[in-house]
Amino acid sequence: MIREKISDRISLNISQTDKFKTNFLSIFFSVPLEYENATEYALLPKVLLRGSGNYPDMKSINRRMDQLYGANMSGVVLKRGERQVIGFMSGCLCNKYAFEKIDILKGLTDLINDLLFNPNLCNGAFLQSYVESEKKNHIDYIKSLKNNKNQYAVQRCREEMCKNEAYGISEYGSIEQTEKVTPESLYRAYKNFISVADIDVFFVGKCDKDVLTDDIKKMFSSLTGSRISFKPQIITSVSGVNTVTEEMNINQGKLTLGFRSGTTIYDEDYSAFSLFNEIFGGSPSSKLFMNVREKLSLCYYCSSSPEAHKGLLFVASGIEVENKEKAQQEILNQLEEIQNGNITDTEFDSAVKSLINAYSELDDDPYSLSLWYYGRFLAGNTDTPETAIQKIMSLTKEDVIKVSRNVVLDTVYFLKGVNV
Amino acid sequence: MNYTLKENKKINEKYYYFKHKSGLDVFVIPKDLGTYYSVFGTKYGSIDRTFKKDTDKEFITVPDGIAHFLEHKLFENEDGVDTFSRYAEYGASANAYTSSDKTAYLFSCTENFKESLEILLDFVSHPYFTKQTVDKEQGIISQEIRMYEDNPNWRVYFNLLRALYHNHTVRIDTAGTVESISKITPEILYDCYNTFYNPGNMVLCVSGKTTPEEVEAVCDKVLKECVPVKIERKYEDEPATVCQKNITEKLEVAFPLFSIGIKDNDVPLSGKALMKKQAEHDIILEKIFSKSGDFYNRLYNEGLINNKFSCGYERGISFAFADISGESRDPEKLLSEVEKELSGYIENFDLLFSDEDFETVKRVVYSKNVQEWGSTEDIANIFMDFYFMDGDMLDYPDIVASITKQEVKECFMNTYKKDAIAMSVILPR
Repeated sequence: MIREKISDRISLNISQTDKFKTNFLSIFFSVPLEYENATEYALLPKVLLRGSGNYPDMKSINRRMDQLYGANMSGVVLKRGERQVIGFMSGCLCNKYAFEKIDILKGLTDLINDLLFNPNLCNGAFLQSYVESEKKNHIDYIKSLKNNKNQYAVQRCREEMCKNEAYGISEYGSIEQTEKVTPESLYRAYKNFISVADIDVFFVGKCDKDVLTDDIKKMFSSLTGSRISFKPQIITSVSGVNTVTEEMNINQGKLTLGFRSGTTIYDEDYSAFSLFNEIFGGSPSSKLFMNVREKLSLCYYCSSSPEAHKGLLFVASGIEVENKEKAQQEILNQLEEIQNGNITDTEFDSAVKSLINAYSELDDDPYSLSLWYYGRFLAGNTDTPETAIQKIMSLTKEDVIKVSRNVVLDTVYFLKGVNV
Repeated sequence: MNYTLKENKKINEKYYYFKHKSGLDVFVIPKDLGTYYSVFGTKYGSIDRTFKKDTDKEFITVPDGIAHFLEHKLFENEDGVDTFSRYAEYGASANAYTSSDKTAYLFSCTENFKESLEILLDFVSHPYFTKQTVDKEQGIISQEIRMYEDNPNWRVYFNLLRALYHNHTVRIDTAGTVESISKITPEILYDCYNTFYNPGNMVLCVSGKTTPEEVEAVCDKVLKECVPVKIERKYEDEPATVCQKNITEKLEVAFPLFSIGIKDNDVPLSGKALMKKQAEHDIILEKIFSKSGDFYNRLYNEGLINNKFSCGYERGISFAFADISGESRDPEKLLSEVEKELSGYIENFDLLFSDEDFETVKRVVYSKNVQEWGSTEDIANIFMDFYFMDGDMLDYPDIVASITKQEVKECFMNTYKKDAIAMSVILPR
């Protein structure tokens, strides 16, 4: 991935390859996560993708995409530490596989340019019908997050754990804030958003680099300003474990343990932490899988996943309600095992190889690769998958044990299945 | 050994085929990507409930969920070393899945490809079941079943199958029930294994920077020559009608989910006929229900659907249906809109589907399929899927390109009828 600065706050990252039949283009906008703005910013991709100056409604946008051999584009809303990220991820067929001579990528970048910077306006505001309809969809979306119980239990744990921190603000904003949005307020938010956001563009595929660079430069030519100075808010100590139990009319209990991990992607020893996570609950040969699932037969899934930009670690599992204490105890036991230095050579080697393989496979997965690099760029981490592999290979058990000792339990969230 | 080479120059892809002396069909799809992906599958899934080998006297009927249970249990080995740990030694990432008509074991890796392939072939060829390990698995799979019971997307899909089919075993949940899996014993597992896990009923698809020679050498090392087994499968007769117009279940959801199915009775098809039909349905659904179409845009603007709306043609061995799914505040109204839209096309197909639209839709469907050749994972899995239907993934883009509007029209008129429609709905509690 070659990174080029387009302006102070805009970068273009290109990975040239002809091994895919698809060209992948992703544009990420990042802003500080703030309660007053989060909702409107999260609504922006939804409203922008409803219509633009040249493609005034969804149908005309999608018809244009069809002409471009079914090109696709979707808006994503992410959270990276105390940053809210609004992304536009798109893909299109490489020109050489088209039936006729056509520049599909050029067509796509023109369309994206129109969608992002030439919105469909009425009297200096977004169209009321679009805004009202997307407000409704957005509220539905927030409400329906509970449909996926596995994710919902982790989301609730995160909210409870960080309720007094900026990180606790939902990247989707809130239902109350959504209700207050007007076409005028949203347009003001849009103007503000594009004038302050840090912008990083990722391309994976085959293109004429100069042409793409020119197109991207043109797309963002009206934007000035510099990068937002950003300082992550990391909490490493805990005063007492916060226990939250909620009931829902479901069959399976969902247990989530939220830890302060003490290590973030900003830190030198982040690779040691990644390796710790892999040993603890990152793969089917991890301690959690081998013990909580295979040995004790308590669950189908039990795994750990870090929030690298915030220094959090979540362990999630689905269990019988009456096994809650047993599962929790075993998860904590396994952590303690690592903290006490009980890692076998096999566990260590397996985790090393598993991570190396995961980093090596990134190269064949353009979306994951773009997100991987982007996450690191945000933290000023200049690793490539290759250098990340080098770092993993240089680690010892002691490095892992050391970072594991900073991991402390903060919140136990239990979504208790009850038959009402 | 002779390898058969087949190429599609238009999309610049090819594969090698050989029949291994064990009786296994092997496909090697070379790809200049760093990730190797292999899938070893058997044509055996949750629909295969009653069967016998040609050498058996009687048909046996096995507990629901056993194909999936067997998939879990194969990961256990006689020496006590878990299969995941064996792969981990070489850094490969492994998994498996069971569907209604197949069970597949897979891994991906970037190094030690031969060693990982050897593990794949070895553990799938060496069953080891004991009462103790079966009991242990019952706890794990019970939790998997409980998880799916709470998953509205899964429930809406399975209820649709139950609405569409009277007798076909596709209406049985892949994992069975907590009760049915409690009846599984090592003996029944061995019966199923010995019936379905013979090379003649299986396939190996490998994609990556490898050669047929390399793959064959690993096959030689692990796979023994086998006496071919002939399998007889008994499926219940399935009436053409739908079983129930509507199935509704209440779960913890924010607002209703729906899945509308259109039952296709023109089964079983295989080979080119099946691929043609798949292409025709892909084109029909893309035209009528895609995001660039009138239907989606009108209903989205009216607030009856949101961007989770999707459609697809689902087909397995001996069953097929079109599926239109999403979220809606008013599933009944949505159903009547779907029915109205379909009857509109029945009356005015040519008017509603212009030649220009037809060409555009075709290129969208074609493009999607060509782009599937970008990942070794997609290639190996889709290739296997086509193989089990006697189809060929390499031919599919050309088949899409060659479909005529008249063929699409005939397919539409034969299938998209009002009495072939059923709906499954999940309502909030």
